[in-house]
Amino acid sequence: MKASRKDMLFFLTLTPFSISLLAILVIAILILISRSFEAFNAFGLSLFTSSIWDPEHSRYGLLAPIVGSITTSILATVTALVFSVPLAILLAEYVHDLVRDILSSIVELMSGVPTIIYAMWASMYLAPILKTYVMDPLSIYLSFIPIFSCKPITAFTIFTAGISIGISITPYVTAMIFESYESIPTTYREACLGIGATRYETVKVLLSLAKPAVIASIILGFARALGETTIAVTTIGNSMYLGSCIFSPGYTVSALIASQFGNAYLYRYAESVLYSSALVVLVVAIILSFIGLSLMSRWRRRVVV
Amino acid sequence: MYKWRKLKDRIFFAVILILSIIAITPVIHLIVVTLANGLSVIIRAGPSFFTSIPPAPTSKDVGGIAPSLVGSLMLTALALPITIVIALFSSIMVNEFPRNPLSIAVDVVAKSLASIPTIAVSMVVYLLVVVPMGTFSTLAGVVALTIVSLPYAYTYFSTYLRSIPETYREAAYSIAMSRWKTVTRVFLPIIRRGVLVTVLMTMARILGETAALLFTVGRYRIGVSTSILGPTDALPLLIFDYILTPYRNFQEIAWGAAALLLIAYLIIFIATKLAVRGVKL
Repeated sequence: MKASRKDMLFFLTLTPFSISLLAILVIAILILISRSFEAFNAFGLSLFTSSIWDPEHSRYGLLAPIVGSITTSILATVTALVFSVPLAILLAEYVHDLVRDILSSIVELMSGVPTIIYAMWASMYLAPILKTYVMDPLSIYLSFIPIFSCKPITAFTIFTAGISIGISITPYVTAMIFESYESIPTTYREACLGIGATRYETVKVLLSLAKPAVIASIILGFARALGETTIAVTTIGNSMYLGSCIFSPGYTVSALIASQFGNAYLYRYAESVLYSSALVVLVVAIILSFIGLSLMSRWRRRVVV
Repeated sequence: MYKWRKLKDRIFFAVILILSIIAITPVIHLIVVTLANGLSVIIRAGPSFFTSIPPAPTSKDVGGIAPSLVGSLMLTALALPITIVIALFSSIMVNEFPRNPLSIAVDVVAKSLASIPTIAVSMVVYLLVVVPMGTFSTLAGVVALTIVSLPYAYTYFSTYLRSIPETYREAAYSIAMSRWKTVTRVFLPIIRRGVLVTVLMTMARILGETAALLFTVGRYRIGVSTSILGPTDALPLLIFDYILTPYRNFQEIAWGAAALLLIAYLIIFIATKLAVRGVKL
């Protein structure tokens, strides 16, 4: 349809709104870049290869929080995956009608609970439980494995943060896996049932078809875990630790920002260092979510149509 | 052979069921303990929980959350309409003119905004609003909350708009309706429940957001502030600060505030469920 004058006018009235949306991201990135320059100039690459937080002497290195972010996000994604694949399969295959409505409502409910409430619950209830029943036993019996090698002194560790964030992103990952699983055409299922496959075998076939979508969900879940702040800062114990053990307190980049940015203006470079760390997380999160989204839509075009 | 396959099928179902039960246990436990802890604090404090300011760290009385409650309500009341308007118009534009470069850019940017950490938003708004103004303010909080919830509302709106079958557009055009009229008279009425759901979910999102407020609204707790240009407080921020303290009465306040927040969320959630019920296209 050719655009008439009226359409043009309609388009023009909408532009201010969409331009303001566009401007937000552009301005945000530009500001972060410009503020990061100072730190990049002062420390160069050592900002990302050393691990110091010493505002008194203006020495900074972000390796520990970066590694901490990656470790917690991996733990979170694994946790989320362990729970969301079964949950999605249960929803799609085994329950129907009322039970299905209730279960999917619960998943939906979970995904909207404010993260601050997850954070509070995790720090008051989950952390002590994990320490007594998971971290203590593992550090005693499996201490020959490097990641379990240290004894948890408090309940607030990298491990706790990873599991807590994992629980909070489970509904998000579940919804994505469920949706892709449901969008597989019925012909595949009929084919499976036609050759007398059991339900387990059917699920195995369908899940292997949905594998790219599951991978995309993992990437998107990882990106979300990376940006999670509230839960991280309340459960990770906030200390500048770099090592292989996940039972010690640590930092994620967001947790570092949340706990240090308030006083950062007092010290030279501190603010700039924090801006550059935010920039890194932001860019990585955007790239990951693009990879995830494009994988997802490519899979959809290939399988669903 | 068949027996073995049958057995494997059973084992598989058992594993799925057990893991699923473990997966939903946290949220149920979370709701139960938050309501139990929080409501007992609120009942003990009585109505003054909603009208007085937080206590001194070591004092005996529970105190209240009035500054944060008023702050949260104000922030939501201001940020929600701005978010909804920008998100709705942007999504209409992308839906109506999908091949326009501006629309493509908007779609891409909305998706990337959804993935940026909210703490980064807080830092940017701190530089853009708080530093020039020289003070933390409700305004800064509103800006941060709008940025955080925009992509969220946008995604909802565009999903609903895209779910409208093309036949409706064709029908509208065939009776010589303009594009503008098609959107306002046909599309928006079709998705009206979707719009309601979006407004409610965005509201829940704004009410519960914490990280975006860390460096924007300040932490004004010595009295109730209704000033837009002055510092204020919010419920999530209060909870965030108080759970990290060792003081017992601070933690009690935090539980009370968390219960209140959770109840607000549950009400919104039930309202959205009622709104979607009976949507047939």
